[in-house]
Amino acid sequence: MAGLPQLIEDDVRALEAALDELLRRSDAGAALVIDKGGPLISQRGAADKFDATTVAALAAGAFSATDMMARHLGETSLSHIYQQGRLVSLLISNVDDNLLLIVVFPAESGVGAVKYYADGAVARISAQMQNAAQRAPGPGVDLVSLNTLDVSPVFRKSG
Amino acid sequence: MAIINQATKELQLKIVYYGPGRGGKTTNLEQVHANLGNVQEKGKLISLATSSDRTLFFDFLPVEAMAIKGFKTKFQLYTVPGQVIYNTTRQLVLRGVDGLIFVADSQYEKMAENAESFQNLEDNLKSLKLNLADIPYVLQYNKRDLASAAPVDYMEFLLNNREAQVPSFTSVASQCEGVFESLNMITRMLLHKNINESSRRTP
Repeated sequence: MAGLPQLIEDDVRALEAALDELLRRSDAGAALVIDKGGPLISQRGAADKFDATTVAALAAGAFSATDMMARHLGETSLSHIYQQGRLVSLLISNVDDNLLLIVVFPAESGVGAVKYYADGAVARISAQMQNAAQRAPGPGVDLVSLNTLDVSPVFRKSG
Repeated sequence: MAIINQATKELQLKIVYYGPGRGGKTTNLEQVHANLGNVQEKGKLISLATSSDRTLFFDFLPVEAMAIKGFKTKFQLYTVPGQVIYNTTRQLVLRGVDGLIFVADSQYEKMAENAESFQNLEDNLKSLKLNLADIPYVLQYNKRDLASAAPVDYMEFLLNNREAQVPSFTSVASQCEGVFESLNMITRMLLHKNINESSRRTP
């Protein structure tokens, strides 16, 4: 498992453009790109109206669990999971080895159209991630400012 | 594997609490959530638990800290379900892990479960094509306040008897003793690892 490549400005802009187009064409409310391990990578739309970090962690778990269940049933390729709600529905689409796309859309919208436009976004995101993976790694995080002899803890107890 | 976003200046790290059932993994997270003082932002503690309050899938706590100047450092803290029957979900939670805190139960009668859980951790990492030797981890010997707690030397012999020993901490997680010490150590180890990998990439 190679893991997610380092992302630069071009990658983030490309992801946001793909999500913006998906939202515009599908009338979905929010779209997120997340790592399959749980971290949120990019978000557009009304994602600020809910706790996107937690939704990302839960969606990664839900997709992984469903994928594992499918494998136990003999299915080796799970591309989407769909959850229909009363107010909002959810489509989680597999992007590649590392990423998932989550689309939150009104329950009255048809999932077929959302899935159609989500597939387009998946293709764009996947292509951009291939570019990122082929790019020579950058210098990484500039950690020069971190004094390794500094023993002060990152997390402190209150009180 | 750490997620580095140069555009948004973010580093994301996933830390998983692993160990036998009822060993104190969820209590660790609850104490971190209740007692965090200096972080910029802490999220909600999410627990996917059974009706009897046993972890079913995972507990999850996102926190942010200024660990590196100029970089927002986001930590995702997870626990796994300790019960033997939930091994598949433990594998799922380990996906993308950067660092581990192994929470062992210090009671004598739990030693077999500790050893079994540690072996299970190695097996589950292998199933994800990961090797424990490549992943920073610390050991936490919990429930030191109980009369039946085994000597620390004994636990070291049982769990930390390898070529490369790792940092270990005694704890009473229910009283928040040893909880932050373990978390800060694994954080430090993860940042050091990223420094080394970063410097190797720098031409």
